[in-house]
Amino acid sequence: MLAFLQAALDGLMIGGVYAVISIGLTLVFGVMGIVNFAQAEFLMLGMFVAYFAWAWLGLDPLIAAPAAFVVVGVLGMAVQALLLRRVMRAPPVAQVFLTVGLLIVLQNAALLTFGSSFRSVATPYQASALRLGPLYISVPYLAAFVASVASGFALWAFLRRSWFGRAMRATAQDPMAAQLVGIDAQHMHRLAFGLGVGMTAFGGAVVLPYLTVYPTVGEQFVVLMFTVVVLGGLGSILGAIAGGFSVGLIQSLSGLILPVQLQNLVLFIVFIAVLALRPEGLLGTRR
Amino acid sequence: MLAVSHLSKRFGGLRALDDVSLQVNRGEIFGLIGPNGAGKTTLFSALVGLHRTDAGTIRLEDVDLGGLKPHRIAALGLTKTFQNVALFPEMSVLDNVLVGGLLRHGLASARIAARSCLERVGLGPIADKRASDLSFPERARVEVARALATRPKLLLLDEVMAALNAAEKRDMIGLIRALRDDGLTLIVIEHHMGTIMTLCDRIAALSFGRLLAEGSPAEIARHPAVVEAYLGREHAL
Amino acid sequence: MNLRGAAIALGILLVAVLLPLGLDPQGYAIRVFALIFLFAAMAQSWNIVGGLANQMSLGHAAFFGTGAYASTLLLIHAGLSPWLGMGVAAIFGGTAAALLSLPTMRLSGHYFALATLAFGEVMRVIANTWAGLTGGPGGVSVPFGQDSWWMLNFKSTRPHYYLALCALVIVTAVFVAIQRSAFGYRLRAIRENIAAAEVIGVDSARTKILAATISGALIAALGTLYAQLTFFFDPDTVFGLAPISIRVALIAILGGAGVAIGPIIGALVIIPLEEGANFAFASQAAGLSGLIYGLLLITVILIEPRGLVALAGLRKRRRTPS
Repeated sequence: MLAFLQAALDGLMIGGVYAVISIGLTLVFGVMGIVNFAQAEFLMLGMFVAYFAWAWLGLDPLIAAPAAFVVVGVLGMAVQALLLRRVMRAPPVAQVFLTVGLLIVLQNAALLTFGSSFRSVATPYQASALRLGPLYISVPYLAAFVASVASGFALWAFLRRSWFGRAMRATAQDPMAAQLVGIDAQHMHRLAFGLGVGMTAFGGAVVLPYLTVYPTVGEQFVVLMFTVVVLGGLGSILGAIAGGFSVGLIQSLSGLILPVQLQNLVLFIVFIAVLALRPEGLLGTRR
Repeated sequence: MLAVSHLSKRFGGLRALDDVSLQVNRGEIFGLIGPNGAGKTTLFSALVGLHRTDAGTIRLEDVDLGGLKPHRIAALGLTKTFQNVALFPEMSVLDNVLVGGLLRHGLASARIAARSCLERVGLGPIADKRASDLSFPERARVEVARALATRPKLLLLDEVMAALNAAEKRDMIGLIRALRDDGLTLIVIEHHMGTIMTLCDRIAALSFGRLLAEGSPAEIARHPAVVEAYLGREHAL
Repeated sequence: MNLRGAAIALGILLVAVLLPLGLDPQGYAIRVFALIFLFAAMAQSWNIVGGLANQMSLGHAAFFGTGAYASTLLLIHAGLSPWLGMGVAAIFGGTAAALLSLPTMRLSGHYFALATLAFGEVMRVIANTWAGLTGGPGGVSVPFGQDSWWMLNFKSTRPHYYLALCALVIVTAVFVAIQRSAFGYRLRAIRENIAAAEVIGVDSARTKILAATISGALIAALGTLYAQLTFFFDPDTVFGLAPISIRVALIAILGGAGVAIGPIIGALVIIPLEEGANFAFASQAAGLSGLIYGLLLITVILIEPRGLVALAGLRKRRRTPS
């Protein structure tokens, strides 16, 4: 019973992070209708930004996380302006393979620039844990969780309250109508993509304290991210949050009975099952 | 030949079809009229199996069509044309019709059957043009040819005359009559009252998903509910 | 294909048949050509679902790897000739593909790509974990002994070259046969307007399943050829997303999906490019060859999403409806 509760707690903590990492992916799909297969590479870039902020400036990754958000977000907007904009009206084949090409480019550029070695940070709280009754909460997990929740809330507030946020939601729901009332779809797409990859990069920065960064680290997260957004519903922010927690729990609880590699198998099967039975996910809308 | 009984279909909160019952006899040209949004196209889609209905039954020559997929229903002899015309844009006119023929023939015979169906609708000369290069009236007629290639017993025509000029309309009316004379039963959706009244043996009027009236053209023209639906309350007796 | 096209094809085939006589049978060049033909055949099998049925699968590695493991494990444990193993591989691959097409039946575009991608990864993880059966991440060595046609064992690469060439010709013939048959017409109809196709009597479910089964069976058989050629493989290679699934789809798309010559042109361009990039840049810096590869992919997609065949004007011009 105790093991179960501990696993559930760990699952929720990690789930919060998964949610933030995946929010970006679902935002991009919701506003642009494109599944960004390269999303996990922006996570990797966020991790590198945070790493170098720590290595050169001595900044804790959690403090550097907003910087990762900004840097990668701006990069994302450039990518949208130069590349993605041109395939908006192209068939899905072109869109998929453009983002696949982007994935290859980013991974290899990182390999070229940073080399293949594994890097990790050392923070004072890395190994510590808090006690909650009989349960332990790992401090890096908790810090990541809090940062994720805060950023998720900030995004939600932005989408609900600000003009930009509402304009983006309008573009997501009905691009034609949005244009007719004067919203520039191109700007919205650029903003959405920048926000989307920025959020994922933020997520990468906050998980850095307990992971290592290397150019192909994104591969670990790819199917995870996709499972989260498909489970929650492609295009739904709340869905990504619900999906994130669900995936965290599933992963953690299945870890009680299965070896590490098979945990991912459970996820994949959930993934396929959702796509087969309810492609719009728990909360999403069919595009 | 066709017995529709208490058919209902909802889309979310919208009752597209509400307890509709009607009968079409063999060899009839049956008209279906009603204002936009009345549920006519929804009824057609339900008949060919594109929509699952929430209640009611559809029987074609005493075979229950409930739950059958569209291709099975086509094999049983029921098919339709699409209101906005649904050709295969990158394929040639002949190939479009050919696919319909594949239901009953192998490839070579389907090609022959396709040519004859195209001749029937008067489009033999354009057999090799690409479907997306055609004008809208031409496309509508190709769709009729394609439906004919499936050798239906009951054919549903959804506003095939919408884009036709007067001469083309006359030809289409002639074609529909000729098809009936050859043994086909047809249900026709049209907005032009004159066409419907002269062409059809019996008519059903829908409004807001409900059947208003079913009967001969004369009966329908006089029916107060029908007049009200089209012209407003003051004009009904 | 008209007379002139047939003559050109025959001429190229003749060149392909005679080429190895001028190459070192153990050399690098002949191996590259064998790989070109093999990957072209793999891309051509993908072309059946990805091109004719317009279903962008990113999980064909699942069937390829199944084939490689099936025949090799049978060879190791039962001494079964790889020819028979190829048959078994085809059965397993075709069945897996048919099974996968059921839950993905109503998916298309991005969703379909995601589902097939996940399936490929499922197979990879299973192969990595079920070490008792597959040898796990350590991979499998294909046993070899005397040179033998029955056991598909050769010291030189030349027989593999011809085998791969035959495989390419066969798979292409299957592709063209499908394209011209009633089955092919139905696939095209489904691709262009599935509702209309259904209404005029096309059983879209059965058609899609059949296309998937043929495609899966073919690529699984090619997995056997691959195993015999490379003598060693592991789950990350034969079930791999990048090395197989994406690459095979890429070759077909880059060359031109939906046309018989597309995968062939795609392989002729991509495989030498990859090998050349590895050659030229591997020593200089890790990642440079991959970077160039990725940039090339992006460039071609941006210029002409319908592939090199369209760029070269060999494709019927498609006009967008006004």
